[in-house]
Amino acid sequence: MGVLGRAVAGQWRYVAVAAVLGAAHQAGEALVPVVIGVVIDEAVSTGDGDALLFWIAVLAVVFAGLSMSWRFATRAAEGASQRAGHDIRVGLTRRVLMPRGGAETGRLAGALASIATGDARRAGMVNFVIPAGSAALGGILVTAAALLRISVPLGLLVLLAAPPVLWAGHVLGSRLERRSAVEQERAPHASGVAADLVAGLRVLKGIGAEGAAVARYRRTSRESLAATLRAARTQAWHDGALLTLTGFFIAAVALVGGRLAARGDISVGELVAAVGLALFLLGPLQLLAWVNGQIAQGRASAARVADVLAAPPLLPAGNARPHEPVLGRVLVDGVTHGPLRDLRLEVAPGELLGVVAADPAAATALLECLARTADPATGTVELDGAPLSTLDPAEIRVVILPAAHDAELFEGTLSDNVAAAAQADRIPDAMAASAADEVAATLPDGADTVLAERARSLSGGQRQRVALARALAADPPVLLLHDPTTAVDAVTEARVAIGIRELRRGRTTVVVTTSPALLAATDRVVVVTGGAVTAEGRHADLVRSNPDYRATVLS
Amino acid sequence: MELLPTAEPGRVRAVVAGLLRARRWLAVAAFGVLVGATAAGLLTAPLLGHVVDLVAGGRPPSALTTPVVLLVLIAVVQGVLTAYGVGMVARLGEGMLAELRERFVERALRLPLDRVERAGSGDLTARVTADVSIVAEAVRRALPQLARSGLTIGLTLVGLAVLDWRFFVAALLAVPIQVHTVRWYVGRAIPLYARQRVAVGAQQQQLLDTVGGAATVRAFRLGDRHVGLVAARSEETVSLALRAIRLMTRFYGRLNVAEYVGLSAVLIAGFLLVRADAVTIGTATAAALYFHNLFTPINIALALADDAQVAAAGLARLVGVADLPAPSAPEASVPVDGSVKAVDLGHSYVAGHVVLSGVDLDISPGERVALVGASGAGKSTVAKLVAGVHHPTRGTVTIGGTPVDELATGRAVALVTQEVHVFAGRLDDDLRLARPSALLEDLRAALDTVGALEWAEALPDGLATVVGEGGHKLTATQAQQLALARLVLADPPVAVLDEATAEAGSAGARVLEEAAARALSGRTALVVAHRLTQAATADRVIVMDAGRIVEAGPHETLLAAGGPYATLWKAWSATRPE
Repeated sequence: MGVLGRAVAGQWRYVAVAAVLGAAHQAGEALVPVVIGVVIDEAVSTGDGDALLFWIAVLAVVFAGLSMSWRFATRAAEGASQRAGHDIRVGLTRRVLMPRGGAETGRLAGALASIATGDARRAGMVNFVIPAGSAALGGILVTAAALLRISVPLGLLVLLAAPPVLWAGHVLGSRLERRSAVEQERAPHASGVAADLVAGLRVLKGIGAEGAAVARYRRTSRESLAATLRAARTQAWHDGALLTLTGFFIAAVALVGGRLAARGDISVGELVAAVGLALFLLGPLQLLAWVNGQIAQGRASAARVADVLAAPPLLPAGNARPHEPVLGRVLVDGVTHGPLRDLRLEVAPGELLGVVAADPAAATALLECLARTADPATGTVELDGAPLSTLDPAEIRVVILPAAHDAELFEGTLSDNVAAAAQADRIPDAMAASAADEVAATLPDGADTVLAERARSLSGGQRQRVALARALAADPPVLLLHDPTTAVDAVTEARVAIGIRELRRGRTTVVVTTSPALLAATDRVVVVTGGAVTAEGRHADLVRSNPDYRATVLS
Repeated sequence: MELLPTAEPGRVRAVVAGLLRARRWLAVAAFGVLVGATAAGLLTAPLLGHVVDLVAGGRPPSALTTPVVLLVLIAVVQGVLTAYGVGMVARLGEGMLAELRERFVERALRLPLDRVERAGSGDLTARVTADVSIVAEAVRRALPQLARSGLTIGLTLVGLAVLDWRFFVAALLAVPIQVHTVRWYVGRAIPLYARQRVAVGAQQQQLLDTVGGAATVRAFRLGDRHVGLVAARSEETVSLALRAIRLMTRFYGRLNVAEYVGLSAVLIAGFLLVRADAVTIGTATAAALYFHNLFTPINIALALADDAQVAAAGLARLVGVADLPAPSAPEASVPVDGSVKAVDLGHSYVAGHVVLSGVDLDISPGERVALVGASGAGKSTVAKLVAGVHHPTRGTVTIGGTPVDELATGRAVALVTQEVHVFAGRLDDDLRLARPSALLEDLRAALDTVGALEWAEALPDGLATVVGEGGHKLTATQAQQLALARLVLADPPVAVLDEATAEAGSAGARVLEEAAARALSGRTALVVAHRLTQAATADRVIVMDAGRIVEAGPHETLLAAGGPYATLWKAWSATRPE
């Protein structure tokens, strides 16, 4: 069953209730012109006061019925649609966060977020659209029955002429739409440019480019205005043409209905009712067209949702668990992956290993293999003798923690972030080792300060220190650190290096970096050049003996 | 927090009236044409009534030809006039909107930076995105609908009065119910919709947080918690949407009552008037049709009531900024040279919390000075004050003998910070922000200076490649090189660099240090040094601690002096045995 099918199945009771009540509402709307016609025939033409009161009372019942059925149909339909959207949204989030990954491949975060908001909502809308379709059909059926009861030829005229009128309007509209599609796309451009200039306000001020920016915005705004006006004019002619077509339709009904009435085939009230019904019929027919468009949109959205849900996981399942207790011996053997060529590397239990890779792509590739966020093309990575590829990815995360250089901080307080995956007793030491305690001290509410907008209020170095504190506090058996201090000032960096060393004593830690301060604190350094290990030793020895190393690390 | 100003309702009206006055003939023409279109449309009902009268009077079918031909003519006239009228309303509304948003953006971009920061960066961004688009949406969608519906309602009531004044009175019976309903609705809907928008924003933010940080979420096994957070935000939006729909259905339910009351009243009036021989059956029919045809425009107009309120609030926030006095353009005071002098500089961002005090600087033209110190020592504050983007709470800064706030920012002294932004659009357009008159050769030369020409020309469309948001994504190093290229193009005698090489990672940092050195050549430079190598190559080093200068002098001298700088250098070079 597809995404839409599941959305309906999960809410089918509400959808069914809404469909029935929606049809009842449209039927009631169709009856209003009929009752007006009857009032004219039975009361206004005859002067019968009792008939007037009776039919006014009938009108009251019709109004009460249509109003109530609309109310509850809309509530049921909207509820079903919102709840289905919610289920899709949560399902998508679950899929994206699945330990085996893969859903983000080839998709930007913004695009995924918009699938989880906009597309989830539009796919859920199917539960609103189905009752709307049922309502439109109900209205059309009642109108048809009423018209045919008044007069078969007049009824047929209305029923057969109304769809072509709308169809002509639609053809005209879609032609114009195509012509103005480009214009409409350009129109919102101006607000995008304005937002972008404001986002770069500090940069503009820094080089005194406000004047140039204002001139650029004015030009964009004028272009946007011209495009919007072309689109608006097109839309206006479309509206006008639709009005004219509707007018022709009413004239035709008046001509045929009037002749029938003049011949005495139908009453004056029936003529009035027929004109009213003809006008009314355009409503449900338009609703049907809307339903059609919404279903197409809902399908497209459902397809985007399904794509994400069905995205192939990056990693095969694997179901073994790491041996307990974890010693933390890591072996990389014969690994070829990205720029890595037959790389061999061993990390002893409890070792603090520095890895220097002049090529950033090689550093990333090595970390992917070590953390198993990807499996290498050839070769194996083992933890305590067990190949990572046989382990359950979720279990690996318990043991090996990759702390990426671009790790995100989340909305919440600084201490929430650090405590996210931590044993409470590790937090103070981790904060001190990463100098995140100093960051907290400069904030208005200390560690309880809320970091808004993914901690954009912090400087780069402050963000790195908080992220490092979080990784250290999690205290994993194997910790992988990637460039943890690039934006931290030199003095603090030297202290952080010692902090990492002290806190990770006895637990396996790999630091991928070119920072001499961090490398000086390691037990051993390996150098990766051209995809393979080309040198290893202590930092101090390498600095003395290896000119290439010196060039890479000390500059 | 001190939000940017919001205009009083009276001021908003005055500004809108001012914009309208500038287009008064277009406004008059648009109004006239739409009145014509609506009036033509309203002839339909009496003509149908006339058909009824002809039939009721027993006239032959051929008598129907004239009214039917008239109906066809009316349809054509109404269609054409509506098209013209709606087009003119769009020209009117969009023209006003364009002028307002241009004025707004101009003022916004010229706001002093500390004013923007005091308001929180979100305030201005929200106005330039959400408020502009809310007002634009209102102009685009609501204004034409409101114009047409309003005219239809007004002229239909006139039509009812022309048929017979008693029909008009009968129709008015619906009005108190409608007025009451709208008041009832708007009072509840506006706060509810405001909460709904906040909830939708929070949901979007949470999703961006969670999805954008998916790798981090997985690494720290926070999956269940984040699914819970998303579900909670989503439930909040669902429950508010359901409350909104309950409110809306009750709103239309009450309008149904008004429809029923009005329609019954018009029918009863018709009955009584026909019985008294005051009007024909055709006229009574026309009156009933008039009223029945009012349902849709009334619903449209009333449903726009809350859109209008929201748009008015957005408009007030736009006018609030657009109305700020234009900052007096600093007279083009030209500094005599590139010297920088600061006397007794002190600063506090929050009153009472002093971050800088007693700082004196005297930098000769062409000299390169490095600012050194731990995070929080006040280096960045000095950089901002010298560049003139913030105003010191104490003391003065002069560039070439002229106080910095009398100089146009960026012309005499430019500031490049670690906050990089690549402007969405073509790469060459981005660079030309720094010097609009620059020729292609100038751009290429500037890129070459900062070592960026090679990759820039290798982009898919070379310098014409669309970069930034929605375009080709540049790396952090490339974005920084672009910032330095802008500095070269702006060509100020004094440049301030604040951690411009910090974010790029170690490999990129070297590239950027070289680029910065070339971009600074021939300028007076104040560099906030992140790596002490930057300090070692400077003419002079100034060491800061806790908001004060603690030491100053050339690298070698300071090393020999054995003071704070020597200690820093020792800590730094201990990690790099020589």
